[in-house]
Amino acid sequence: MSIDVFWRIPTHGEPGSHRARDPFRGDWFPGNDNKTLSGLGGGGDDGFTYIDYLAEIARAAEISGFQGGLIPSFPNTDEPWVISAFLARETKNFRFMIPFQPGFLNPVVAARMTASLQRATGGRALYNVITGGGGPSQLWWGDPVKHDDRYGRTTEFLDVLKGIWAGGPFSYNGQFYQVEDAGLPDPLSKEEYPEIYFSGSSDAALASASKHADYYLSWLEPLDLIKEKFARVKERTDHLGRKIKCSIRVDIVARPTEEEAWREVSRGFENIPKEILDRYIAQNAGDSVGANRQRGLRPQTINSYKDFILSPNIWTGFSLLRGGQTLGIVGSYENVAARLDELVQLGTDAFILASTPHLEEAYRVGEEVLPLVRGKSGASNLRAVA
Amino acid sequence: MANQFYWQLPTSGDARYGNATKQRRGEASDPHYPVFGNGITDPRRNAFSYFDYIHQVTKAADLAGFQGVFIPDNPDGEEPWIVAGYVGRSTQRLKLLTQFDASRGSAVYAAKNAVSFQRYTGGRFAWHITEGSSDEHTRKQLGDFVPKADILARIDEFITVAKGVLTTFPFNFVGRFFEVQDGGFQGPLSDREVPSIYLGGNSAEQLELSAKHADVHVLDAASHEAIAQQIAAYHKLAQGRAVAFSLRIDVLARETREEALEDATRFLTQTGATIPADDSALLWPGFAEQHTGAKASLIGSYDEVAAALAAYAHVGVTQFVLAAVPHFEEAYRVGTHVLPLVRQLTNPAHKQAA
Ligand SMILES: Cc1cc2nc3c(=O)[nH]c(=O)nc-3n(C[C@H](O)[C@H](O)[C@H](O)COP(=O)(O)O)c2cc1C
Repeated sequence: MSIDVFWRIPTHGEPGSHRARDPFRGDWFPGNDNKTLSGLGGGGDDGFTYIDYLAEIARAAEISGFQGGLIPSFPNTDEPWVISAFLARETKNFRFMIPFQPGFLNPVVAARMTASLQRATGGRALYNVITGGGGPSQLWWGDPVKHDDRYGRTTEFLDVLKGIWAGGPFSYNGQFYQVEDAGLPDPLSKEEYPEIYFSGSSDAALASASKHADYYLSWLEPLDLIKEKFARVKERTDHLGRKIKCSIRVDIVARPTEEEAWREVSRGFENIPKEILDRYIAQNAGDSVGANRQRGLRPQTINSYKDFILSPNIWTGFSLLRGGQTLGIVGSYENVAARLDELVQLGTDAFILASTPHLEEAYRVGEEVLPLVRGKSGASNLRAVA
Repeated sequence: MANQFYWQLPTSGDARYGNATKQRRGEASDPHYPVFGNGITDPRRNAFSYFDYIHQVTKAADLAGFQGVFIPDNPDGEEPWIVAGYVGRSTQRLKLLTQFDASRGSAVYAAKNAVSFQRYTGGRFAWHITEGSSDEHTRKQLGDFVPKADILARIDEFITVAKGVLTTFPFNFVGRFFEVQDGGFQGPLSDREVPSIYLGGNSAEQLELSAKHADVHVLDAASHEAIAQQIAAYHKLAQGRAVAFSLRIDVLARETREEALEDATRFLTQTGATIPADDSALLWPGFAEQHTGAKASLIGSYDEVAAALAAYAHVGVTQFVLAAVPHFEEAYRVGTHVLPLVRQLTNPAHKQAA
């Protein structure tokens, strides 16, 4: 079986390169009076909005061979349901991977939203089910439920979603959700059930994932940790008599040579203000088990970007460059592809890749890196040049 | 201010005939029952979906001079926010008035989605919040177990929280249904337009809630006298509060009254609806309610229907949510033949182009 590769949609603005911190593309450009301005260039009001830029990225990703993209949802981002609906008509293949916390939606409404989106896109909607801890505080979102209970709620949500999807009638009496004789109406009920990617590193997360997920989704971690994590998930699902696939979300910097790739990273690193580095050392990551696993990999002292090199081509400073996860892959096209192949050999069935700026890099990675990935068989995809 | 006209999008099926359950436009046909029989090859396969048709209706409303589209929430139909995003991308002017009830989930999450809508549409997103079904079992089918007595209180909190996080940082709230700590949006997500809030109902409690939160109060189709009374009652209760009134009413307008009556009769035959039809009346209660949700339809010549709409404007209605089956052709008809007459009648200075 071949590997599915997704791209990412940057939902909270975008600098023009890894070196730059701002100005941000689109209307995230920070203006003088702390008001943000629109436009790609100088921040003048040009009548475009950020969705115009995101549309360009989605098209670039589908044209250069990605399945679609993950559309992250955090307190400071635009929302993936909205982005997906807006971009439904002007994309052809692009699959919309929507992260959302089940606790925020009535499952019957979520089912209708999803089925409508499937109808609007010809079946291109899928989920990244998340269960909190991704933001500073669940109560910012208006959610008072505690960490492990939230996974119970996620499980209930997916029970109901599945129960009503094909039309029901379905009744359920859970702690968080109840329905009585529920079911999606015809013709919405004829749509395909969305593929489910599932993230969360805690035990509670794995329990819920093993019941409902098609793909377990992890950030990149050191290879031995990834191997152990995938093994744990698979063991649980084997118990339930199910099969689960595994996937990795990772940022990359790929260039024609190693030297150019590291130059990009080191220039970006030099532009990080000292306060940010200090804060980075001090910060904690809330109640997310996954995020804390990543933070455990911080270097003790920081003198140069090299302190963040964990193993060949694996760099742990990505969250400093653009926020988000810490580990990423830096290197020549060949070496980045080789690292991806190592992850495939560890059991990875799908990737969500990203690089800044997402527009130009979608073409680069699609054209230069993906063709070099050998995949499960280990055989080169490249035809011999006569 | 000039009157605003909204055209309703058919979120749960539409076709040439009154009864759209058999064949929805844009829907892939059942391979076992090909529409063209065996005589003609059908090139469409799965190239289209019902959303392509909804999109056409939206463009029709835009071209025909409506100011907005109303996207009703029918539990048997498409989800209104997905429809709004889908049509929002390819329109520049139209307001997107979406209907939903407060059982949809977190008010913060709803507000956060609204922020993206407003950012991408320049503030064209609006909320018509309803109470959902009055039938307890229907509500339980839709995952809502909140008792009927609490429905208005939940709407009240939903709007309070949504407005709170949209306009204030940090926003704190502890209620019976929602709780927020240090909420609110920052950076480019902050200071976005609060969606215009539409609420309806005639009971004392409903009026009180509307007077507290609504920008627009929604009236169901009724006689001119009844509408005038409802508006007067509202003003009395909501002293001094500047609220606009929107009337949700269907229209079946034709060149002549005879044609309108003929088509009305045909529609009733096709839908199998039985209503006490009075040929001399302009307002037919229950006419297409099964299909559009509106409580009544105006039926008559272009002049008659336009005059009736103008008369509603005269008693204080400034927004109209109109619908007719099939929604595509009728958007052009009403936009071309009826709206210019209404504009002329309500604003004599507005001369029709010669
Ligand atoms: C690849 C990946 C993508 C994620 N995307 C989001 C996201 O878009 N929004 C969010 O709030 N959390 C996101 N998360 C956070 C997790 O889903 C999860 O909520 C968090 O790690 C807490 O779960 P845990 O304590 O079980 O690890 C993501 C996690 C991973 C691994």
